[in-house]
Amino acid sequence: MAGLHLKPRAPFATRADLTGITPSGLAGLSRAEIERLAVPHGAARLPLAELFFVESGPDGVLLIEIGDERLDHVGAGLEAGEIIVDGAVGAWAGQGMSGGVLRIAGSAGAFLGAEMSGGVIELAGHAGERAGGASSGSRRGMSGGLLAIRGNAGPFLAERQRGGLITVGGAAGEGLATDMIAGTVAVAGGAGPQLGRGMKRGTVLLHAAPELPAGFIDTGSHDMIALRLIARRVPELAGFLGGATHARRIVGDTLMGGQGEVLVV
Amino acid sequence: MIINGVEIRDSFAEAFPMVGTRLIITADTPDWALTAGRVTTGFATSVIGCGCEAGIERTLAPEETPDGRPGVSILIFAMDFGSLKKVVPLRLGQCILTCPTTACYAGVEEGKRVPMAKTIRYFGDGYQISKKIDAKRFWRVPVMEGEFVCDEDTGSVEGVGGGNFLILARSRGQALKAAEVAVAAMTKVPGNILPFPGGVVRSGSKVGSKYKGLFASTNHHYCPTLYGTVDSALTPETGSVMEIVIDGVSFDSVAACTKAGIAAVCELGAAAGVIAIDAGNYGGNLGPFHFKLREIMGADATGAK
Repeated sequence: MAGLHLKPRAPFATRADLTGITPSGLAGLSRAEIERLAVPHGAARLPLAELFFVESGPDGVLLIEIGDERLDHVGAGLEAGEIIVDGAVGAWAGQGMSGGVLRIAGSAGAFLGAEMSGGVIELAGHAGERAGGASSGSRRGMSGGLLAIRGNAGPFLAERQRGGLITVGGAAGEGLATDMIAGTVAVAGGAGPQLGRGMKRGTVLLHAAPELPAGFIDTGSHDMIALRLIARRVPELAGFLGGATHARRIVGDTLMGGQGEVLVV
Repeated sequence: MIINGVEIRDSFAEAFPMVGTRLIITADTPDWALTAGRVTTGFATSVIGCGCEAGIERTLAPEETPDGRPGVSILIFAMDFGSLKKVVPLRLGQCILTCPTTACYAGVEEGKRVPMAKTIRYFGDGYQISKKIDAKRFWRVPVMEGEFVCDEDTGSVEGVGGGNFLILARSRGQALKAAEVAVAAMTKVPGNILPFPGGVVRSGSKVGSKYKGLFASTNHHYCPTLYGTVDSALTPETGSVMEIVIDGVSFDSVAACTKAGIAAVCELGAAAGVIAIDAGNYGGNLGPFHFKLREIMGADATGAK
């Protein structure tokens, strides 16, 4: 795709939905067709060019300038290519994406990377609730790829996560990894209460032991070879793990028959 | 062709296609990694009786291994992919899983997949844990000592098995000394193993036997105690013959290994009792790979004869 540059004409008065505005979604469309694409805006649908100045940009990249917290579904369903947002985004950014890269310079609303199965999301700011989680009523959250949040994550991060890796530079809110099925979450800045309720499998990496529900059992501190392997194979976790060789392994949620683990390193 | 008084006979080694893989074994100490490597590649001298040919390729420094601990890389070769898929999990389960402090990783990325923890994980009885990173999965199997960490599977290569050369010397001691020097030089060439004890075969075989049902028997043409009584390939002064067999990941790696070995033997030269270098073949009709000794040593000849 020829690169595209979108610049909001004005701050959004109501929520806009950018579903389908991805490099592959725009491939094969002429500039005029792109400008006429109908974008849900509040209760109405407006042509893309009425909301944004549309210009060409570097190949394969969709650049959204300024950003807006009312811009929903940015990069939803992204399969390949790169989307860069020079500011904040609303809810559902990167929802269901299977490949490509989504870089967001600001913060994101709820459901960031919900049910994503591949690709990379890099968020410089904070994430709202249920990042990497499942859509309402859905049984499975994120199943693959990387969701890297540099700031804090809201409540219920990684809810029903099924696979992939989530890293958080700041702290995570309450209910982290609720009903987690598999996958890995590393939170550098600590986690809120009620972590891991209903957790089946999967790994939560923390630096300090959190407050855990009754179903978690502390198995003690162990020399774990897997830590050294992960530190080398997963560059995104190398900094978090450092040269760690030991971890305190807390297993749960055993009240639900779960075998998930919180590793405190 | 004569190099340093050693005759390089106009012969060739005849080798066969084999399917092989590489495993990386790590452990807390180099000794334990080596122990696991030796045990896993034990009883694997020849496919004729062992089902596979295996050996330690080289030792690995901590910075070369996936988990930063000392390790060894081993190569395992079998006649076909089906056999390889059987022998690798078998040896992994009996020899690496059981060896204190070890972990085991894929040593080949490309090619058809050979199962590792894909099979062995069931030892975890439901308590095993997997982690998938990109397309690569590894398993953590809880064991009494701690955890056994192992990759899901490894790739495979179409290699070459049965590269060889023979060292003809005046005495057993001199033949053995020359073989030891050759092995020391050959183990420095990556991508190859010398599957026989210490890298050396003292009982090279020929195909077939006078006895029904025996596939291989002593290569009587090279037995010094039969000299004169059979169609001997030896000279009167030859007192002993040692063979070195090479399996490698490619024709070129086996050729490079052969050259390194013969060059080391020739450096000892006639003064150390080495008479000639020969090679084992079946007339050239059985194996598609021919390692012609004089071609391989071409550049090193000092006086052609």
